[in-house]
Amino acid sequence: MTLDFAIVVKYQDALLLGLWMTLKLTLICILFGCVLGFLLALARTSSNVVLRGVSSVYVEFFRGTPVLVQLFWIFFCLPLVLGIELSNLASGVIALTLYMGAISSETFRAALKAVGREQMDACVALGLSPFARTTSVVLPQAVLRAAPTLLSNCVSLFKESALVSAVGMADLMFVGQNISNNTARPIEVLTVVALIYFAIAFPLTRAVTVMEGCILKKLAI
Amino acid sequence: MPDSAPLVRIEGLHKSYGGVVKVLQGLDIEMKAGDRVVVIGPSGGGKSTLLRVLMGLEKIDSGSVSFAGKSYISADGGRTAIDAKVRRSIGMVFQHYTLFPHLSVLGNLVLAPMKVRGEKRAAAEERAMALLTRFGLAQKARSYPAQLSGGQKQRVAIARALMLDPKLMLFDEVTSALDPELVAEVEQVILQLAQQQMPMVIVTHDMWFARNIASRVIFCAGGVVVEDGPPEQVLGSPKGERTREFIERVFHIRH
Repeated sequence: MTLDFAIVVKYQDALLLGLWMTLKLTLICILFGCVLGFLLALARTSSNVVLRGVSSVYVEFFRGTPVLVQLFWIFFCLPLVLGIELSNLASGVIALTLYMGAISSETFRAALKAVGREQMDACVALGLSPFARTTSVVLPQAVLRAAPTLLSNCVSLFKESALVSAVGMADLMFVGQNISNNTARPIEVLTVVALIYFAIAFPLTRAVTVMEGCILKKLAI
Repeated sequence: MPDSAPLVRIEGLHKSYGGVVKVLQGLDIEMKAGDRVVVIGPSGGGKSTLLRVLMGLEKIDSGSVSFAGKSYISADGGRTAIDAKVRRSIGMVFQHYTLFPHLSVLGNLVLAPMKVRGEKRAAAEERAMALLTRFGLAQKARSYPAQLSGGQKQRVAIARALMLDPKLMLFDEVTSALDPELVAEVEQVILQLAQQQMPMVIVTHDMWFARNIASRVIFCAGGVVVEDGPPEQVLGSPKGERTREFIERVFHIRH
């Protein structure tokens, strides 16, 4: 068997389009997912029992089931339940946002917890209002502490996003699979696809480590 | 406010955790505007809790506190009412500095004046720099707390509290977490404040410091005031048996 990686170059436009779709999907879901995750973290630490219960069930359910199953459920079952048609993109975005919300909420929750009671005492002693406490002290510290783990959540999401190819979304994985089927060159094509994912994920995971060091130093924790 | 009226009047203060662990059991203290009160006593005797109550950080079971003639803290059927406006005239410095780690030294100092009083950043920074200069920290203004020594952090914490022009300062074991060689620089700053007639309540285990700064020493144990008087009397020739025992033990450890 001879390998011919030149064949991949022929399909570079298609692969780039697929990559663009993957990045777009990932970024949108990171944005919505983080907002959802922060709100969920607040709900899970709230004193309201109902809020705490609902958010806990949600988070545990989405952390405890395969993303592929979630995706299929939203793609095939949700339209039946709601009685509306969902585009591939919409169901992909919904599924990955819900997933990102669940995993990032845990990250935010840990970060909120780390902003200790002593910091709150200092806020009270300085007469800061509850609003000023949250926006000027708790939120910046929580985001700083959460940043490294959040970034690795983002890398997970980026990689998991390949699952949307299973419901026919034309992302990088989907395009790669199609090309490999049509050309009967799975080794070359799928290797290149893997390398593209790696080329993006690897620097980000390195960045997590660097960032952790910086933040640890800055917050002295 | 007439001179004779107390700055702080604490009456019948009771505080427990869950009704079981009784920390304060009927505390009565009157403090005049010129007083520098040092509270000493065994661990768990209620000293720190007293300061935390005065700062409005703790709920109380019963009793009341008034500040400059105004009712400040009162227990009202299981709820603790705290006058937030009065609270703003009291500043507190904690054992573990509690600086905001995400803000620079300057940022720590100007946050409350800007958020609480709506002061402009430029004006607040100018006042902050003046304070930092006075405390020998001007060159640290742009540093972050993690880059400072314990002594520097604690001086920044004192400056941060002073930014709000408090009428009373509370110091809760502010040198206990410090390396011995850093204690003096913090105590120096507090002595400086004392010379400017700042009313203060200090909880400390440092008897040398207590003797030097106090106009009055209160020995607190078991949640009540056991002895209360001028430093030379309470520290030098205590009347009560418990006070004498405690002082002997502390000085024995020190010397």
